[in-house]
Amino acid sequence: MAQVTREMVERAGVNVDQLVELLIKNAAAELTTYYYYTILRVNLIGLQGEGLKEIAETARIEDRNHFEALVPRIYELGGKLPQDMKAFHDISACPPAVLPKDPTDVKAMLTVLVEAERCAVRGYTHICNLTAGKDHRTYDLALAILNEEIEHESWFSEFLGEGPSGHFLRRGETSPFVSKFLK
Amino acid sequence: MRRFSKEELRHYNGLDGMPAYVAYQGKVYDVSGSFLWQQGLHQATHAAGSDLTAALKQAPHGAELLLRFPIVGILDPNG
Repeated sequence: MAQVTREMVERAGVNVDQLVELLIKNAAAELTTYYYYTILRVNLIGLQGEGLKEIAETARIEDRNHFEALVPRIYELGGKLPQDMKAFHDISACPPAVLPKDPTDVKAMLTVLVEAERCAVRGYTHICNLTAGKDHRTYDLALAILNEEIEHESWFSEFLGEGPSGHFLRRGETSPFVSKFLK
Repeated sequence: MRRFSKEELRHYNGLDGMPAYVAYQGKVYDVSGSFLWQQGLHQATHAAGSDLTAALKQAPHGAELLLRFPIVGILDPNG
């Protein structure tokens, strides 16, 4: 634990235990999403599914990166990951992104993907709201992750016919916002 | 429809086998079936058994996510 770090955040008026719990829950969401997206990605096949495979893969890898980036902050603030992987899964900040009953139903697949991203967007907005102007490091991290989750949402939303995402897909790189926390 | 006082609502906190109920704009919703209300706690910040009308104004989502759940009663404004 980084004692002065935690003290500064507490003095700024943040409930650090509550914040740490939120970070753990969101770390759980990222790792479990990485797992469930693996299953979704391998089932994105055929004429319609193949076109989605690339963005599902990018979102999958970036969600794993988010988990990696969150873990140090949890420990800096005095938290720790649960010993039990199943318990970790069950405290996730977002519901499991389970493969639809009919994996050939591309719209159902997209709905699962976009709902997972929307849950993440809400979650990191919540953390940004709690830490803005108070816990600069957690805010910076949550904002970086939020930027990527928003892009994921817009990609899947575009395929659902909800309107243009307004930007291109990644060009070979991943996590343009979060990568600074992974070095 | 059942009327809940604030004191009665507090018992429905999602703990020890109790269902998780929350109030919003005078209606009481059963959120027990939600993955996001396990152990009567939502995103580490909101507890079941309470009136969330004010809290929802600050939330990163609107009432539409709460309105999906069954209504089990009315919150007594005088209770």
